[in-house]
Amino acid sequence: MKRAKGGGDEDGPRQNGAAGRRKGEQQKSDADDGDCDFGAGDLQEDDNDPGLRREIRSKYRDLINSVQQNREDMLRPSNNKLTEVLEEANKLFKDVRQAREAALDAQLLVVATDLGKEKASQLFAEGTAFDPTAFAEHLLSFMGLNRLEDGEDEQQNGGAVDGYLPQDAWHRVARRAQCCVRAAPSFHYMMGSFHAEPPPPKQRTERQRKAPGKEAKRIMPTQLKRMEGSHQEATEKEVERILGYLKSYYQDDPTSPISYYEFVIDPNSFSRTVENIFHTSFLIRDGLARMHMDNAKLPCIAPVEEGEVEAGGSLSRKQCIVSISPKIWKELIEAFDIKDTMIQPLNTHNE
Amino acid sequence: MSQRKRLSNTPGSSQGKRPSSSSVAQEEHDDTAFTQPSTSQVQRGMEKLTPAQVDQKTAEVVQYFLVKDQKKIPVRRAELVKHVVKEYRTIYPEIMKRAARTFDQVFGLKMIEIDAKNHMYILINKLEPAEGPPATRSPTNPKMGLLFVILSVVFMKGGVVRENLIWSTLKKLRVDPGEKHEEFGDVKRVVTDEFVRQRYLEYVRIPHTEPVEHEFRWGQRADVEVSKTKILEFMGQLHEQDPQTWTQQHREAHSASGSSQASSSQR
Repeated sequence: MKRAKGGGDEDGPRQNGAAGRRKGEQQKSDADDGDCDFGAGDLQEDDNDPGLRREIRSKYRDLINSVQQNREDMLRPSNNKLTEVLEEANKLFKDVRQAREAALDAQLLVVATDLGKEKASQLFAEGTAFDPTAFAEHLLSFMGLNRLEDGEDEQQNGGAVDGYLPQDAWHRVARRAQCCVRAAPSFHYMMGSFHAEPPPPKQRTERQRKAPGKEAKRIMPTQLKRMEGSHQEATEKEVERILGYLKSYYQDDPTSPISYYEFVIDPNSFSRTVENIFHTSFLIRDGLARMHMDNAKLPCIAPVEEGEVEAGGSLSRKQCIVSISPKIWKELIEAFDIKDTMIQPLNTHNE
Repeated sequence: MSQRKRLSNTPGSSQGKRPSSSSVAQEEHDDTAFTQPSTSQVQRGMEKLTPAQVDQKTAEVVQYFLVKDQKKIPVRRAELVKHVVKEYRTIYPEIMKRAARTFDQVFGLKMIEIDAKNHMYILINKLEPAEGPPATRSPTNPKMGLLFVILSVVFMKGGVVRENLIWSTLKKLRVDPGEKHEEFGDVKRVVTDEFVRQRYLEYVRIPHTEPVEHEFRWGQRADVEVSKTKILEFMGQLHEQDPQTWTQQHREAHSASGSSQASSSQR
């Protein structure tokens, strides 16, 4: 589409800078009589006066800025602001002496020419001009805008029409657009991408794995419960059993003290010996048995008669810690020549 | 018309459009410098392959195009050769000829080279869009509406428009490039990136502008796909004017570049 095809013949925008300048100067020499004339003597001073140079450059920059900032304004065909800018530039140009200022002048020229080109293209319409604003309004109606009845709202929006656009507003435009476009319809697979094999086997293995897991979980809690219960009962039962042994041995011969070591040591098993010591300590703690030293300063154990418990209770309680190691255990077995255990182990002992 | 840029493969013509030594074309592994094989090379290549092989490769090219067309991104020759044609590159022109025929006869589509320099292809519909409501209720893409508005403004304004005019017009339609839009999301990206990549629009920087400004023009895809006459008709409807009152646009729509859309579907 040819851009510069402006049908209009307006002077200002279509002239380039140089021609404009020549014309401008001619006009000025007619119109302005003594405004910018200066004598020969002033020339040399002005050449080197930095203040004046700066002023000129600053004015150029102002002009350039004004063109850029007020672009929309200058574009309107209703005013001649661009021509005014060019005339300003002409005036300034008379005082240009150095390269820097000339460069700014050139820059202004480029900016102004650009604007001029755009102004020219605006004049391009023979026939009806196209107004995007009107187009937008018509399109909004086409899209189904429900304009509000209230006239005040329209003004508040700065001219934009208020109202509600329906959901499918843009779809309506798109549908209308389809009639004008020869686009290839998009290709999509009908069934989506499709693999027959992998999914079923995956499901099967998952299910199989899940089943054993559940059973295993179910077994665990019951086992634990049984163990816990048996644990406590076992201790109590064992302690009672040992008390039973103690009492029976004591009744066999009440006068002869029972050696503690002979009582607890099981020559066949160190671990059972430790358990016996452990259970016997409960008897001592609960006051069901007592220990004393015999003439050989060796510990002996004897059950406590029922009547004796209160008397011995709080007064003569002593604590001691019994320790034993396999080495000591063996030495004790040898020393006391323990052949057999006094506390028979339980047959259904579970570890 | 769509064939004009591509190598003519009439049997017996002994010149390729591009000078290429046979050894170079055969040994070349650098995909970016694909040179069009000559007709004699193509013939020799064809002799080494079975018809089934050639058909298979053609079908692969057709599929590649169809999938690429989903996003409306043009297909580059270099990509096509690298990813699909591969070792069949010596018979590339023949494959393309067959693919074009397949598109034409099976799908009713035209394969067009929109950029002769960079060798980029698109698919467009061979048929004119049907008059009246469409037969199938396929979902419309609202982005096409947005694109249509921009193309219309650019066309009615003589073919080039500064971006500010587009943004201000869109704002009047409640589409603000600075804000996220319900339907379109990041409007600026859709307009200046997506539509440009699809070759519906061109978004070109204007020199000497500070701050930087761009102008919009019709893209190469729009040139072949979109009917200016029909846009003018729509304008006439909207403004309740005779389309011919916009004389310059009317002339443009019926000029040489517009004649491709004016041609009716051939049977």
